[in-house]
Amino acid sequence: MTVRTMHEIASLDRSRRTDSLGELAPRAAKTAWIVGGAGLALAVLSAVFFDDGWRHFNYSYLVNYAFYLSISLGALSFVALQHATRAGWSVTFRRLNEILAANMPLMAILFIPLALSLFLPAAAPYVWANPDLAEHSPLVQHKQPFLNVPFFLLRSAIYLGLWIWMARFFFTRSIRQDVSGDPELTVQMERFSGPIILLFALTTTFASFDWLMSVEPEWFSSIYGVYYYGGATVGGLAAAILAAMAAQRAGYAAQSITTEHYHDMGKLLFAFVVFWGYIAFSQYMLIWYANIPEETTWYLDRQSSAWLPASIALLLGHLFIPFLGMISREVKRRKVLLGFWCVWLLAFHWLDMFYLVMPSFASDRFPLGLIDLGLLVGLGGLYVGGLLRTAANVALVPTKDPRLPEALAFENL
Amino acid sequence: MSSGAVTANDNTLSDPRHRAPLVAGKQDYASITETVCRIAERDKTPRAWYVAFAVSASLTGMLFLLIGYLFITGVGVWGNNSPVFWGWPIVNFVFWVGIGHAGTLISAILFLFRQQWRTSINRFAEAMTIFAVCCAGIFPGIHIGRIWCVYWLAPYPNQMEMWPNFRSPLLWDVFAVSTYATVSALFWYLGMIPDLATLRDRATNPWRRLAYGTFALGWRGSARQWHRYERAYLLLAALATPLVLSVHSVVSFDFAVSQVPGWHTTIFPPYFVAGAIFSGFAMVVTLMVPARAFFGLKELVTLRHLENMNKIILATSCIVGYAYATEFFIAWYSGSQYELFAFLNRALGPYKWAYWTMVFCNVVVPHLFWFKKCRTTPWIMMIVAILVNVGMWFERFVIIVTSLSRDFLPSSWGAFVPTPIDVAMFVGSFGLFFTLFLLFCRYLPMVAMAEVKAAVSHGIEGHGH
Amino acid sequence: MADHASHNTPDSSETRVAAVLGRFDTAAGLKAAAEKVRDEGYRKWDSHSPFPVHGIERAMGIRPTILPLLVFGAGLTGAIVAMFLQWWTNAVDYPFLISGKPFFSVPANIPVAFELIILFSALTAFGGALILNQLPQFHHPVFASEAFRRATSDGFFISIEAGDPKFDERKTAAFLESIGAAVELCRVPAAKPAIPKAIPWAITFVAALALLPPLGVAWYRASVKREPRIHPLHDMAFQPKYKAQSENDRFADRRAMRPPVAGTIAQGGLMLDTALFQGKDSEGNYVADLPVPVEESVMLRGRERFNIYCAPCHGYSGGLPEGAAGDGDPRSWDGMVSIRASQRALTGDGTWTPPRALHSDYVQDQPDGKLFETITAGVNNQGVQSMPGYAKQISVEDRWAIILYLRAIGRSRNAAADDVPETQRTADTGGNR
Repeated sequence: MTVRTMHEIASLDRSRRTDSLGELAPRAAKTAWIVGGAGLALAVLSAVFFDDGWRHFNYSYLVNYAFYLSISLGALSFVALQHATRAGWSVTFRRLNEILAANMPLMAILFIPLALSLFLPAAAPYVWANPDLAEHSPLVQHKQPFLNVPFFLLRSAIYLGLWIWMARFFFTRSIRQDVSGDPELTVQMERFSGPIILLFALTTTFASFDWLMSVEPEWFSSIYGVYYYGGATVGGLAAAILAAMAAQRAGYAAQSITTEHYHDMGKLLFAFVVFWGYIAFSQYMLIWYANIPEETTWYLDRQSSAWLPASIALLLGHLFIPFLGMISREVKRRKVLLGFWCVWLLAFHWLDMFYLVMPSFASDRFPLGLIDLGLLVGLGGLYVGGLLRTAANVALVPTKDPRLPEALAFENL
Repeated sequence: MSSGAVTANDNTLSDPRHRAPLVAGKQDYASITETVCRIAERDKTPRAWYVAFAVSASLTGMLFLLIGYLFITGVGVWGNNSPVFWGWPIVNFVFWVGIGHAGTLISAILFLFRQQWRTSINRFAEAMTIFAVCCAGIFPGIHIGRIWCVYWLAPYPNQMEMWPNFRSPLLWDVFAVSTYATVSALFWYLGMIPDLATLRDRATNPWRRLAYGTFALGWRGSARQWHRYERAYLLLAALATPLVLSVHSVVSFDFAVSQVPGWHTTIFPPYFVAGAIFSGFAMVVTLMVPARAFFGLKELVTLRHLENMNKIILATSCIVGYAYATEFFIAWYSGSQYELFAFLNRALGPYKWAYWTMVFCNVVVPHLFWFKKCRTTPWIMMIVAILVNVGMWFERFVIIVTSLSRDFLPSSWGAFVPTPIDVAMFVGSFGLFFTLFLLFCRYLPMVAMAEVKAAVSHGIEGHGH
Repeated sequence: MADHASHNTPDSSETRVAAVLGRFDTAAGLKAAAEKVRDEGYRKWDSHSPFPVHGIERAMGIRPTILPLLVFGAGLTGAIVAMFLQWWTNAVDYPFLISGKPFFSVPANIPVAFELIILFSALTAFGGALILNQLPQFHHPVFASEAFRRATSDGFFISIEAGDPKFDERKTAAFLESIGAAVELCRVPAAKPAIPKAIPWAITFVAALALLPPLGVAWYRASVKREPRIHPLHDMAFQPKYKAQSENDRFADRRAMRPPVAGTIAQGGLMLDTALFQGKDSEGNYVADLPVPVEESVMLRGRERFNIYCAPCHGYSGGLPEGAAGDGDPRSWDGMVSIRASQRALTGDGTWTPPRALHSDYVQDQPDGKLFETITAGVNNQGVQSMPGYAKQISVEDRWAIILYLRAIGRSRNAAADDVPETQRTADTGGNR
């Protein structure tokens, strides 16, 4: 691309009336919601007609909830980190991430079915809430001060409340800056980003302990929060890249988001694929090596004859194959290839969530079925609908960010 | 916080509309060269350097004498005993290896993140890495007892049919630390070739010209050579990044693969890496604050550089604090009485003085860096950085000694008492570190001139493009 | 070191112009000039700068280097070497168990593999960069220029070498001047200096010296030493302690390993209860009753142990009585030994003696203690051990359990009709089933 001056490009985008989706958004959102509803209906019907359907539904709901939540969390951490490091290159991608993170209120609403499941007799997926189990397991009894329904719900409310606040903090200031162009807003966001990152780390860690790790209440791993975070970052980055490609396909932000930005996002995505692999390997190797029965049960379930193929697929598909596929510079600069890997990684990130939760539902078979498909599409439709609603009247690129000219002008080595 | 002009001493402005200049003062290529080269080119070594060198060299001598004494007399001269079989030597090893990580992070990871401000400090930090790894490598070598058999750790064909045990993290350490030493040295040297050529071309003394010229390999700054040099630099940076993460992870595996309470917890690898970066940056700050003043480098290593390093210290301190909290929570959550006891013992048992020193230095003190005044005042950051290093030494001490002195069987519990030899060797290792470091400062280019010039060429030449 | 020779002497017959050097003041100027030189069609030329100038590769038309591919290949090689090394040394050549881990443990082998990938790649990156850059190269025409010293601090140069087909001393220099350079000619000696005679001799000498250590090692390994080894650490090699199987002069029997004091009993070895441990009372008579409680669990245990230890010879039902049909024929018995004997009998091999029938009066009339002694010590008739002792295989409690079961066997083969429980009687309950 010929190198324009920073000012030329900045004024180009400002001259377009808006980079926001405008009237396209409500129509697309409605489509998304209808698709979502259809998916949910399919899942519910399957739950009614299949054996053990409701238990499967509950577990699968958690899987898909964790998947979509992780995308928003990954995006939120991206925004906070870019502010903390005063990054210039990422300005053009930041609004899309803010929109992804701004789905937090929807995620809070979607948490309600999970919360309700605590009061069901089988208490799936949170079996520790089932008093019969607690009676027979000394380990679960030991954890009662922490794993009890009121405290659990209180904590969940805190996590979601804080995430909503964090996402709003960045989003509202960012869109306010679209109007005023005030650099003080950037300074403020930068100043708060540090404590926000701290809070984010603690809330994400404990949310993953509460919502995902406690599904297997007798098991524990201190790196679990970092593991979930690694996967969330992969998911968030891949989703942001795909969102950018979708927006550009529809003709928006065509000149703002350049190959250089995709290249950088691709590099980050690659790095976090490796990071995820490093965390996953650490957890596995340490538990394998010490061979302590309290810890190995979790992996033994996932190495049983029914689950072993999925574990191998996850190892290959979430680490080795994308590593080799994305290592080349060219791949990250070509939208088709990069987009392919983003879709691939989102699929395997979903498999990761499935692998984390479902063996507790069924360790003797691989329980992928219509319920899972239905909830994936169902929650996904709602999620995308929420995104489109947020994006409706908002520019897709922070038009008056003081570092936008720097972002538009930069070139990779 | 308003923009404010860049004063001669302070480029730590935070106006988002402008990037702070990377160097202070009016610099051009010649002035950068002059600032850095004049240190090595001084005919008369300053007296202060001789004094410092004498002190560190004598400490180094003491270290080697004590090592000889250790070989002749045996490992019993240390405090290692049942049940604390790993004492100061391993604490010191992990301490020094951790410090080394900052150099590679600055060189490699900040390079990949395109942080141009690293160019003023990377040569300095990489040198620190290599010298720290030298100090680190001594301890596992001498602690094996029969140092003359140390070559058995290498997989060479032998008539004893003996191979190393590749399933042991202690052997992974051998590979990891030696790879790290090699790659760091290669990276450091490759980066230095153009600067050695600068010193060669400016040298008036024929012996200096010969010395610098030999190591400069005939570099002539050709664009074709620069192209391959840059690719190699990028590749080495891309390789060194996972390497530095892996080295301290492998060191953490030494502990985490065991079943000892307080050691076996899955968060060790990233926690150790964060701690290593933490202590490494603290050491860079500790060395850089006096060095930039003494060697007149304040315009190249500005307050902004120091501020950025302090921010990283703050960030890694938070990660370390996060790890402490998570470990403690999981120790309770796991329901394992041994694990919970291990953590309560750390805070309330016979070594609680070490534990609380660690917590204070690592988790409390660095929070001073939330305040800009503290981040940009040299004497405050020196104190914080030194305390951080103290705290990180104590962290390794706490991990090793508390867990070993009280593990599963109360009948096996026992105290650990260091001997004077333990202390003296640790102090001596600082002597070795500073000896090598002073030699580096005196004779080698302390700042990566070529990289600084590349970073500021826009500023010098304007937007010529 | 001919890096920077003293000033050129023009028009000397002993020197020739090897390159033309043009100096510029800024990186931008260098880049612009480089484009022009490239467009002019020169091939053997280069630009020099104290730092890499952004975009100069495109300006000069430099093709990207193959170094990344080499490094990638080296990384793959490192991975393969590491995995093979660990597999061969720990799983094939000398496999040994480490805490039950598989000989080839993939999770444990990953760290070393990872490190070797990095090591091989880094060595290739470094070495490849040097080799591709043709470094070290201490001589080059540009070093003939004094002004070129500034190339590594603040000067920017373009050099066009005489080997280029388009090179012409005057035209090239003029061209460079036209694009804004300060031009200088680089002169080098016309004739190549000869290698001093001493160098080949020195190399030969050093090579010969270098052979000495390996030869010494080989000679040392091939020879036999009569003198004992030197022990530099005397107190480690000769420690003031006694090792197993060594001598100690202080004792009459000169043994360092002392046997236990007479009368020492191992823990659990004080067997005061002769009834339980020997089947005899305090006067040495065989006990008639079991010294263990008679419960169903003991009976079941006895049956299980009987089936393991006794049934191979005696059969699962205790065997055939003397005189019964098929008595001497192993095919009538169902123990493992008798089955084997049956097979061998087919080929006319082997001998087989029927063991005592356990439900016979001979056995059932013996007191419990005698049965215990038989199980413990076996049966020895005038030096012929016809049944081995099972003291080592069967614990004391288990022997009593077997004896209880033996009584059940006896009862089962000698039962009366009244012994069958009411609910299980059929019309035909007379006699043995």
